[in-house]
Amino acid sequence: MVIAGFVVQCQPQSQQDTVAALEAIGQVEVFGADEKGNIVTVVDAESSADLEKIVKRMEKLEQVLTVGLTYLNMEDEAEKIALGELSPDPFPRKPLKKATMTT
Amino acid sequence: MVQTRRDFLKRTAALSAASYLGMLLPFNSAGEALAADDTVWHRGSCRLCGTGCRLELGVKNGLPTALRGVPESRTNMGFLCMKGMLFWKVMNHTDRLTTPLYRAKKSDKFKKISWDEAMNIAADKFAGAVKEHGPNSVAYYGSGQALTEETYFFQKIFRGGLQTNNVEGNPRLCMASATAGYMTSFGADEPIGGYADIEKADCIFIIGSNMAEAHPVIFRRVMRRKLDNPKVTVINADPRISLTSRIADIHLQFNPGTDLALLNALAYVIIDEKLHNEQFIKDYVAFKKGKEESCDFEEYKKSLADYTPEKAATIMGGKVTADQIREVARKFATSKGTLSMWTMGLNQRKQGVWANNLIHNLHILTGQLLKEGADSLSLTGQPNACGGVREAGGLCHILPGHRPIEKEPLRNQVEEAWGVPKGRIPAEPGLHTMAMFTAVNEGKIKAMWINCTSPVQSLPNCDLYNKGMAKDDTFIVCTDIFPTKTTELAANLVLPTAFHFEKTGVYGCTERRSQITRKAINPPKGARPEVEIIRDWAALLAKKLNDPVITQCIKPFEGLEPEYALPKAIWDEYSQKLTKGRDNDLSGAPYEVLEGMFDGVQWPAPTAEYAKTGGTVKKFVRGMDPLAEKLKTDDKPYQFYGAAHPDHKLWVWLRPQANPAEMPDADYPFYLSTGRIIDHWHTMSITGRIPELLRANPYAYIEINPKDATRLGIKPGDMVEITSRRGTNIMPAKVYEGPIEGMVFAYWHDQHPDRMINKVTIDAIDPGSKQPEFKICACKIKKVSGPQALKPYIT
Ligand code: SF4
Repeated sequence: MVIAGFVVQCQPQSQQDTVAALEAIGQVEVFGADEKGNIVTVVDAESSADLEKIVKRMEKLEQVLTVGLTYLNMEDEAEKIALGELSPDPFPRKPLKKATMTT
Repeated sequence: MVQTRRDFLKRTAALSAASYLGMLLPFNSAGEALAADDTVWHRGSCRLCGTGCRLELGVKNGLPTALRGVPESRTNMGFLCMKGMLFWKVMNHTDRLTTPLYRAKKSDKFKKISWDEAMNIAADKFAGAVKEHGPNSVAYYGSGQALTEETYFFQKIFRGGLQTNNVEGNPRLCMASATAGYMTSFGADEPIGGYADIEKADCIFIIGSNMAEAHPVIFRRVMRRKLDNPKVTVINADPRISLTSRIADIHLQFNPGTDLALLNALAYVIIDEKLHNEQFIKDYVAFKKGKEESCDFEEYKKSLADYTPEKAATIMGGKVTADQIREVARKFATSKGTLSMWTMGLNQRKQGVWANNLIHNLHILTGQLLKEGADSLSLTGQPNACGGVREAGGLCHILPGHRPIEKEPLRNQVEEAWGVPKGRIPAEPGLHTMAMFTAVNEGKIKAMWINCTSPVQSLPNCDLYNKGMAKDDTFIVCTDIFPTKTTELAANLVLPTAFHFEKTGVYGCTERRSQITRKAINPPKGARPEVEIIRDWAALLAKKLNDPVITQCIKPFEGLEPEYALPKAIWDEYSQKLTKGRDNDLSGAPYEVLEGMFDGVQWPAPTAEYAKTGGTVKKFVRGMDPLAEKLKTDDKPYQFYGAAHPDHKLWVWLRPQANPAEMPDADYPFYLSTGRIIDHWHTMSITGRIPELLRANPYAYIEINPKDATRLGIKPGDMVEITSRRGTNIMPAKVYEGPIEGMVFAYWHDQHPDRMINKVTIDAIDPGSKQPEFKICACKIKKVSGPQALKPYIT
């Protein structure tokens, strides 16, 4: 479970369309918007990789100017990383180079 | 209704976003679930650029699990970029260094050793070098990411203990020209205003900065200003169209290195059209044409005759027109408030100081300074280049508190504060960065301490200097959290350190603001905070050199626990004894005051009462800057008390257009420029270990203008060889209307030997600031193959 809060910015005149487009993306919830085109948005993602994909989709929406992250909770993943159950590396890497190997 | 943890976190996330906007939601943070939440929030600064964003790290069961911005902070109003939001994910990374590593020879494998052994080796090597080859055979090379306490303490031991001024740091590579520019134009280092001017400016002039990527939160503030006030004019001057150009009303695109002509042409129009502020000039301005050589307004005006908009447009090439130059000059001079911002595009140049002077000239001529919305604001690249390195004595020619080393009375003040004999600090400046690594090449530096930075990747023309660092002539200690190209190639001894939020200390950002980060979690077992390492090392040095003065240097810090009491004592010594009475007076900002702030304190802040208001928003303005009142020499509203200008004036400089050190020619027909990408920080040793950031930009690529690409038969994704007189890279092509025709551009984060662009860059330096010209050199490019699958690479 990864929960993130965002202020999504759009042009004020396209606010309603933007809210609808954001909500059309699954796992995105809009909590409010102001007259300047700021939209309070929360994403509930399965994992940080999933969050990344959703953010990319939000950024690609035509009316969206910026997607500003304001809060991020990844407590499940953080615990797994600390316990060594999850590697934060996205790509398999070789073991460390000779020069930095401990013997 | 039972609220699940998931619901609770979603509401918390929504409340956090809403709080930035002052928006009320139908639930609040005082709910039951919040009371039951066991996340503890620790306030601090982001460490991944010079903006100084404030954030809170959420810790649960001793683990970092969440992050949020601090909406009350005057630096970021709560906003963070992705890089800042994710940095904590590396804290428990399996690559963290947790044991001292040693190898006698650089061709050997590292062995794990104990801390006792490691400290003994470090002390033996430095003491031995000093005994055998003298104090100047040792050197410290630090970082704009080190805490102020760390930089201050290191330089104290090197200068006061080992008696060498060979104290440098990577800010020489990014900020030295800005420092020299402020000193020579305004008489004192660091900006007059700060970020608060963004929301008041009507004209925002961005030159040599891709702030959308390098300072995303500052860019966000600029964008918000523009969206809220469509009449605000944003001007972007850059040879490359970048993400920053998206919001520009006017984009001036010109050949690299011709911006001195642009800045002179703007001054020409301002004077020609009588848009300068005569009274301001009369009251506050002197004109200079060389060191110690003054001139008058008429001579200055005459010097601009070579920079009519037409002539300048010709020099600049590209798409700039004379009318555009006129339009920009008028906006600059006549807007209610004009704010200029720049960074490495001006600083990392052979004419970096001149470029800085020329932009200050425009502000001085028009009086676009000292008032709301007007400032000449150099953005810092690193989180603590200003606070730690510029202010606390982290460069070879300055002592803590902005004291030039060559002034004996100022050296004596420092010696007295440290309780060491008069004359203990050498009078001669040490070696600046490029001279220091040249001395390593020559085998003259026998022992070197590299802290929190990776010169093997970040020096220009790095292959040349890496040869020296790889030799066994220089014993090198590296203190870091991860393996880097430097630990791999150059280190004999690697000491694992605590990361941000695993230790306590202060960062000072772009706008003269010092902000504290307190320890929130334990470092991995085996890693230690630098301040503890320095103290223990110095104690051994004192014994091995049988030198009681070294003991004296650490006396105030003996026995203090390293998590809080030790850095606090160091900050107290520095702020109370060495900034008091100086222009960067932080004596009103001990830890107790800094800890009470959402953000921090802008110096000068001579009393706690004043510091608690946030300090000085505008320097030199009576009524806003306590020193302007205290040091006033007349009744005028502005008082330029900076020590470098005894006449208490701002100086306008005559500085001609001058070419970069290396111009394209028949053999190397392209300009090469380099820069920072949004998702990565410097040499990627941190951000390359964060999956989201690495995936976003796993490797560097070369940007090529479509016209050049067509001419050379290069298609998007093709592998392209980039060669200069110094080295070669091979990386994929990105073909797009970014760089101007005849220019290519590469990001510099990639560690892969084929894509380390600093093998190609030039090590020519500005003669004044000694800062290298990373931003411009000549290269040639050719396609070597079609697209190839590449793997990201981290040492
Ligand atoms: S803008 Fe800079 S300081 Fe702010 S969150 Fe991003 S990297 Fe950190």
